[in-house]
This record gives sequence, C-alpha cells and structure tokens, in this order.
Amino acid sequence: MKEHGKFAPLFFVGPHIILFIVFILIPSIYGIYASFTNWNLIGSPEWVGLDNYKTILADTDSTFYSQFFNGMLNTLIFVGLSVPLMIIIPLMIAVALEHKEVKFTSLFQTLIYIPGLVSISAAALIWSLIFNKQLGVVNNMFGSEHVWAATQPYAWITIIVITVWAGIGGNMIIYRAGINGVSKDLYESAEIDGAGPIRKFWNVTLPSIKFPLIYTMVMTTAGAFNVFAQPLMMTDGGPRQSTTVLMMYIRDLAFSHGESIAGVASAMAVMLGLVLLVISAIQYYIMNKNATT
Amino acid sequence: MFEKIKVSKYLAYLFLIIVSAIWTIPVLFGVVTSFRSQTEVVNEGFRLLPVNWIVENYVNILENTSTAPIMQWLWNSIFIATMHTLLVVVVISITGYGYSRMKFKGRDLLFFTLLGISFFPNVVNLIPSYKIIDILGWVNTPWAMIVPGLAGMGNIFLVRQFMKGIPMELDESARVDGASDFKIFSRIILPLIRPVLIVCGLFSFTGSWNDFLWPVIVYTDVNKMPVTAGLLLLQDVYGNYRMIGQLMGSAILAIIPTLLLFFFAQKYFVSAINLNSGIKG
Repeated sequence: MKEHGKFAPLFFVGPHIILFIVFILIPSIYGIYASFTNWNLIGSPEWVGLDNYKTILADTDSTFYSQFFNGMLNTLIFVGLSVPLMIIIPLMIAVALEHKEVKFTSLFQTLIYIPGLVSISAAALIWSLIFNKQLGVVNNMFGSEHVWAATQPYAWITIIVITVWAGIGGNMIIYRAGINGVSKDLYESAEIDGAGPIRKFWNVTLPSIKFPLIYTMVMTTAGAFNVFAQPLMMTDGGPRQSTTVLMMYIRDLAFSHGESIAGVASAMAVMLGLVLLVISAIQYYIMNKNATT
Repeated sequence: MFEKIKVSKYLAYLFLIIVSAIWTIPVLFGVVTSFRSQTEVVNEGFRLLPVNWIVENYVNILENTSTAPIMQWLWNSIFIATMHTLLVVVVISITGYGYSRMKFKGRDLLFFTLLGISFFPNVVNLIPSYKIIDILGWVNTPWAMIVPGLAGMGNIFLVRQFMKGIPMELDESARVDGASDFKIFSRIILPLIRPVLIVCGLFSFTGSWNDFLWPVIVYTDVNKMPVTAGLLLLQDVYGNYRMIGQLMGSAILAIIPTLLLFFFAQKYFVSAINLNSGIKG
C-alpha cells in the first residue's frame, strides 16, 4: 500500500494557501494597520496612532466625523428597512409555492428568481426609468408628482424596491427546501388537533425551518451592511446625502479623483468591519455546527 | 375543511400571480422600451407595447464604440467570468481534495483557521487589495477580477462537505492497487464531485458577472471594464434620459448572457446546494 509522499498535500492545498495569503490575509492585516496611519495609497503610510479613530468618532468639527455618522446611520436605515422584507417576502412566496394544491410552481419560481440574475447596474437603469418623474411608470400610473430619487422618503423606497426585487431569489429557494423537508405527519397531527393554516404556519412550519431562517437572516444582514450599488445608482446618495451609505464614503475617500485619504477610509472600514465581525461570528458558529454534524 | 383549502389555494395563486407580475414586468418594460423611439417615449409616456417597433436604438448602441463600447464590455465580462469560473473549479476541487481526502498533520486545524480568517469582513481588506492589484500591475486588466476571488473559502468548504459523503473505502482500495493521489483525485473523486463543481461554477460565473463594487474601483479605462461597471457610466453617456432607448437596450444586452446561462442550467441554480454556504470569497 502506497501512502502519499510527504509533499503531496502541499501540492493540493499549497496553491490556494498562497492565494489566501496574498489576497485575504495580507490585505486584512494591512487594512487594520492602515487605519492607524496617514496614507494616500501611493507613498508609505505614516503612523498616527488613534488619530483617525478620534477624528471619525469624536471630532465633531470634522467632515469625516459627520460623514462617518451619516454613512453609518444610512447603512443602518438600509439594513433595518431591507432585511425584514428580504426575509418575510420570500418566506410568504415559499409558503405559497409549497401549498399542496398550487400548480405551475416552477414557472412562478423561475419568474421570481430571474431578477436575482440581473446585475444591479442593469436593474438600476431600468428601475430608475420606472421611477422617473416625467417618463416613468410609477408617476404615470399613480399620478404622483414626486421626483422619486430626490425626495424622501421616496429615495429610500426606490432603493428598497430594487433591493428586494433583485435580492429574494436565494432566500426563497432556501425556504422552499426547508418547508419541503418538514414531515407531513406534523401537519396531519396539527390538523387533527384542529389547527387552521395560520396556526399550522406558526406552530409547525416556522419552528421546523428555524435553522434556514437564522442562516438567511445572518447572511442577508451581513450583505445589507455592505450596501453600495443600489444607492449609488438609484439616488447617488441624495437628496442631501440622506442615502449616502458608509461604503460610498469609504470608496470616495480612498479612490476618488483627488488625493486619496486611505487612512481615514480604512478606519471607517474597520468600524464597519467590527459590526460585520459580530454577524460573521454568528455565521461561523452556525456553519461550524453544520460542518461537524 | 374542504372549503378552507380552496380559499387558501386561491389566496396563494393570487399572491403568486401578483408577485410574479411585479417581478417580471420591469424586465419586459426595459425590453419594450428599448424598441421605442425617444420621441414616442416622451410623447406617449408609458405603454405596454410600442406604437412602432424600431431597432435603431440597438444600431446606435453597437455603433458607439468610443464612450460606451458595450460589445467590448460584454466581451470583457465574458472573458473575466469564464476564466474566473474555470480557475475556481480547478482550485476548489484540488484544495477540497487536500482538506478532505489527504492525511497530514494539522489538516483540520489549518482548514478551520483559514475558514475563520475568511469570515473576517471583506470591507477591511478592500483598500489594501487595490494596492496589491496595483503592485502586481493588474489595474485595468482582467486579472484584477479573475484572481483575487480564487482565495475564498466558501466553495472549498462546500466541496469538502460534499467529499465527506464519498466513502473512504474507494480511495483505500485504489491505494491498495497502487494508485497515487493524483490518480485517485482525477479518476475517482473528480467525476463524483461534478454536481457540486457545476453549482459552484455557475454561482462563481454569475457572481463575477454581477460584481459591482470591485470593478468600479479597479477599472478606470473604458475599454477594459466589465459591463456592470460600464453601465454605471451610461446615465451620463446617454444624457440623463435624452436617449432612453439606448439606455434600456444596453441594460438588456447586459442581462442576456446570465439569463441564457440560467435557462440552460436552471436545475443547478435552484438546487439549494450552494446556498448552504452562500458566502462568497
């Protein structure tokens, strides 16, 4: 019997480890380091200790301070508005699709899934026209007089609409698989106890799909904190920066045409990262549990 | 009892029809508008079908190769997404084999350490990643989008999970017959993990195709960018709704490749296999 040579494992896992070090490990460490420096992306960073954090967290006169808090606030608003819808709507669709007398389920599922494959920039072009004041569908049909992207709360509505439209397909499929896996006996015994459809949903369906529910909540929340494309394309952060999310500020500070302010941007990224880290910790815990069983 | 099921059935149908309509109509609206002339859109407003079907919008889109070279963008996207997908499949199958079929000291510790680090929020490594791409000389080249995503752990995790379901006896009996690891990998394991590789490949392709933040950062050259980043420029190029047909036509062209892929490989997209992990490198 031939055992594999000493270096064989290196051949199989080695190439990926190099990729991992270059594109994940080093940039992550450097990203934290850069947040303690003054850096313009070109020269070498100059250590400034906690200055960037003091500026964005406490220096009320600084634009970076107001940008950080405005960006974080808007990101939280986005998370708060989008995540519940991205859970509830696909759950309702999945329940309807798993109704035992409903037919054409694969057709319905396909139609609802397709927008998830549309790139966000293409989707934004189409939806911007739909919400356009003179030419759009919404104002034509509902006689509304608002410039949607430039008036609140409509600016948020446009962003949330496109997000939900493009983002529920995956969750829908996870819920369908979950509901499909629920034992029919549970429903039958609930029926014998006289439970109606609503009680069956609360007492049988929901508890049985607890794991996929938690999983999608975590994933959707983490994704929502990284929001960038929808506000950039739908409202460009307006009106008056009321939809400018933190990722937009980070990108502007680090990569806009003037001198890069990558140090401050890194500090903002680390702060956003801390929020995401908590969410990731939950995710890791769930996946780990899944991996060992 | 019977009545109850009927009511809920009709409610389910009603709900599904409304949702499907809302989810479908915007795309149809984009398609239809791309075949309407600017004057018609401005004068007649929203219509379900054009008064006159025209193809000038598409002719104009294809002729504009300077400010909005959409065919170039589409080609860039196809090249990037295809190369990325092929390399992802190679990397995750080899690496997955290493972490699930080979025995070496600290294997699981290494795997879970890397997995743990990979959960570290991407946003923190965004700016240094750009610097690394810059140092490698990859800014405005396809490699900026092809290579970094290969470092992710999510798909490797999936492949490893999938391989765990394949009995070890297969490897052991082959090994008794004198097969090397490379042979076991290519002859026995690789054919068996095809389903998970297809799913990971498809999601890598669409993920790469639809990626937005990263290409917006690493591409400044109009001729080098993928189509998602290109579309960001269009509202300026086609003058704030002075050329609506071109705008919609470009959006539709950008959608077609992923839709085609979906129709050919639908069952893999909705198989939920990938979704157990979901994390993207």
